[in-house]
Amino acid sequence: MRLLLVEDDVMIGAGVRAGLRQDGYVVDWVQDGTAAELALKTEPAYALVLLDLGLPGKDGFALLESLRRRGNRVPVLVITARDAVADRVRGLDLGADDYLVKPFELDELAARIRALVRRNAGRAQAVIEFGGFRVDPSTHKVSYLGREISVSGREFSLLQALLDRPGQTLSRAQLEERLYGWGEEVASNCIEVHIHNLRRKLGDRAIRTVRGVGYVIDEAEAPCRSVASSS
Amino acid sequence: MSIRRKLLLALLGALLATGIAASGATWFAVRKEANDLFDYHLEQMALSLGDQPLAAPVDFLPPLGQDYAIQVWDASGMLAYYSRNGAPLPLRSAGFDTVSVGGEDWRVFTLQSPDRTIQVAAPVTLRSGRAAAMALRILVPILASIPLYGLLIWLIVGEGLRPLTVIAGAIRRRDPGTLQPLPQAGLPEEVAPMVSELNALLGRLREALERQKRFTADAAHELRSPLTALQVQLDMMARARSPEESRAALDALRSGMKRAGRLVEQMLTMARLEPRRELAPRACVQLEQIASEVVGGLEPLAEARRIELRLERLEPSAVQGDAQALHALVRNLLDNAIRYTPAGGVVRLSAFAEQGEALVIVEDSGPGIPAAERARVFDRFYRLPGSSAEGSGLGLAIVRQVADAHGAQVALDDGADGKGLRVTVRFKSST
Repeated sequence: MRLLLVEDDVMIGAGVRAGLRQDGYVVDWVQDGTAAELALKTEPAYALVLLDLGLPGKDGFALLESLRRRGNRVPVLVITARDAVADRVRGLDLGADDYLVKPFELDELAARIRALVRRNAGRAQAVIEFGGFRVDPSTHKVSYLGREISVSGREFSLLQALLDRPGQTLSRAQLEERLYGWGEEVASNCIEVHIHNLRRKLGDRAIRTVRGVGYVIDEAEAPCRSVASSS
Repeated sequence: MSIRRKLLLALLGALLATGIAASGATWFAVRKEANDLFDYHLEQMALSLGDQPLAAPVDFLPPLGQDYAIQVWDASGMLAYYSRNGAPLPLRSAGFDTVSVGGEDWRVFTLQSPDRTIQVAAPVTLRSGRAAAMALRILVPILASIPLYGLLIWLIVGEGLRPLTVIAGAIRRRDPGTLQPLPQAGLPEEVAPMVSELNALLGRLREALERQKRFTADAAHELRSPLTALQVQLDMMARARSPEESRAALDALRSGMKRAGRLVEQMLTMARLEPRRELAPRACVQLEQIASEVVGGLEPLAEARRIELRLERLEPSAVQGDAQALHALVRNLLDNAIRYTPAGGVVRLSAFAEQGEALVIVEDSGPGIPAAERARVFDRFYRLPGSSAEGSGLGLAIVRQVADAHGAQVALDDGADGKGLRVTVRFKSST
């Protein structure tokens, strides 16, 4: 899952990026409003934006405003040192989805990110259950047809991307966008490799190839229901 | 004692004293006049009696009552007649006299003719009683009017002092947080200067308080960033899964700590400089001396960052000022230059006097400051976009503040060959 981190403080930015990478997120980090604007215009695949308000160049409020004016509905989590109620209200009114005041703990940040992503996908439950899968974003545990599966970080991200909008087919390019940040070397067949590895662990039917389009996870058939009721 | 009571007592006292003096004077004047008049009467009466044949007792005289007494002595010195009951008055030589008979004072006129002596007398109390009555007639209305005057004075003084009461009320109702000026319209000219001075003081207090508030808010806000960095690095440390990760997190934590410490130190410097009036008393300070002290203190930092520190030109340059504040100025300039210049760079420091000015110049081979940003970098907590995290954003603000307090100018230019930054601080030289 790919995030955009907008933070001008080098120490905070580096720390947050490292922490979120550990959680399996792909993090693009920019240090000023103008770069953030550019990133949001050119990279459509962000699952969420972490926005610091006190930015050089374009101020965080202005960035948020122009983002929403363009109709971009990506979830925005504001992280800021401004804790005045007026600032919070203004931030939320301008279209921020959540507000986290500095200093914060990485775990709380991660939890809020998960909650926002979940809410954005229209789910109330933290755990995703679809097509025989049971995926817990907070613990990175995956089970398929009642069997616990161990997956790598990328494989988890790939599953998460496919389950984010259940039943939606994603192209290879879309998956690459979601799985890899800037400056990351992407081999031309890497998505195929991950799919291949996943199928080896899950069986061929777990992820279906749609010829000429991409990949999709289908809604589970009868055995899955029986699994769901027995668990 | 209140002004009102003091005025009341003083004015009423004066009124009373005036009344007493006036009635006293009246008493004296009236008594003298009455004396003259009564004496004249006595004399007239005696003269008229002298014309009478006195073979027989003076029956023809009207009854005189107790107010007058008449005595007639014959040539042999026998008392031929006297009108009064009780002891006769003693014989006296001609003219006026006062005698005491039976405990009572009598005024006597004695008229001597060849065959007899006539005395006419009246009690002294009669006449002094008149005088006292006259004097009283003046004193009584004055005494009677004292309560009225008292009331009037009380009201008038109260009215006159009302502006003070109004101001006191305005001060009492004041919210200690606002320090708004007191209303000055319609004040009497005795009170207006006091209020305007008070307002000026309130204004200065308000500014100082405002500055302090802003600074505290800024400071609290600014401290959040290094604290956040520390928190994140701490979390990373807790999550570390290998010794390498743990070591990296520890290093980050350590530099975050250093940064927070530096910010706090800079804030303290700033806070100490804040009330400008309280800078230490002006003394003669040698800038070149301060420059070499600062260089001594920063050499380890420069060495650690592989920055070459060059003392270019150190010449006697004296200014009037606060040595500690000037030390902070030079240290911040040099510290900034060292921190923002990439490793292998050069920082040059000069302090010298020229054409009545004392100059401190710090020049580095770093990235410089774009012309558009040069005005803003003096703002508190302002950091150049994309600059390293460890700056507190206070260095140049401190420089500006010290310079302002010393009437010095700070100029930012490109370095010697169009690269880097040159900061020039110009003081009025005191030599």
